[in-house]
Amino acid sequence: MRNLFLYTFLGLAVSVGAYVSFELFGPKAPLPKYAQAGIGGDFSLTSVEGEINLSDYKGEIVLVYFGFMSCPDVCPTSMGVMATAIRQLSEEQQQKVRGLFISVDPQRDTPEELHAYTQYFSNRIFGATSSKEQIDAIVKQYGGYYAFVEMEDSALGYTVDHSARLYLIDPDGHLADILAHDINPVELHEKLAAYL
Amino acid sequence: MKFLFPALLMSASLTQAADLTINDAMARAVPPTAKISAAFMTLINNANTDLAVVSAESSVAEAVELHNNTMTDGKMKMRQVNQIDLPAKQTTELKPGGLHVMLIGLNKALVEGETIDLTLNFSDGSSEALEIPIQPIEPMMQKKHEHKH
Ligand SMILES: [Cu+2]
Repeated sequence: MRNLFLYTFLGLAVSVGAYVSFELFGPKAPLPKYAQAGIGGDFSLTSVEGEINLSDYKGEIVLVYFGFMSCPDVCPTSMGVMATAIRQLSEEQQQKVRGLFISVDPQRDTPEELHAYTQYFSNRIFGATSSKEQIDAIVKQYGGYYAFVEMEDSALGYTVDHSARLYLIDPDGHLADILAHDINPVELHEKLAAYL
Repeated sequence: MKFLFPALLMSASLTQAADLTINDAMARAVPPTAKISAAFMTLINNANTDLAVVSAESSVAEAVELHNNTMTDGKMKMRQVNQIDLPAKQTTELKPGGLHVMLIGLNKALVEGETIDLTLNFSDGSSEALEIPIQPIEPMMQKKHEHKH
């Protein structure tokens, strides 16, 4: 009986020791600095496929972009950069990359319209949105910014000021890089290729 | 008093704008569900007097407005402007990330290869009716890349 306790204790000690040393010294890559700082993380959205979660795409690189469809300029340009960079990858690699355009303007942009909008640029870019509360939480979680601004004399009624960045999520679901919206497709392609 | 428009189409000018050259005018091709787009161009005021674009019209949009985009502290902001100044002897660019003619409430898809009509109205009371091509704004993969594969 005594031996049994001893062996159990020893066995536990060895497993704990092995686990701790693996965590500390094992081959596992350290968390990216953003994840360490608590920036990023999982979220839920509504797309044409219903509810989607960032965690559904583990094993893929996800490029997250916050925008809106009435944005004439930076949003389509960023989508074009994303599409061009993805297109440079092999067919097999492309299946491991996913662009995710999150509309911060759910009042105007429906999941159906967002789907058509994003697929126009690339079949690897998808659109989604959510309630204002959810979007506020996700934008905050990622350190982004957006604000509705009235446009009194404009037929638009309002516009959205927004930070225009590309958030690169690694295959483990961690925020690995924050890229400028006007990143060159060559650079973006290189960033993607580094994970493939 | 010459109007030069060295693009694809000979635009029939309603009234001659004073010594103005318009280059590379285009409307951005957009996804079929997009309700908005923008037109861009380079305007060169060759005259000794200032001019301004004060309004614009097109049959493809419910409303056509003059807008400006600015990027401050990493925040992209779009605002309507009353006019686009074309100072004497200067070149004014309407381009992505800056001044643009905003097309709001599109009544047709802006498909690459087609054209749209666009009339610019100027501060001197003159107008220019243009027929401009619809083009995608494709970010270019730079030469650096071509040597890599
Ligand atoms: Cu605009």
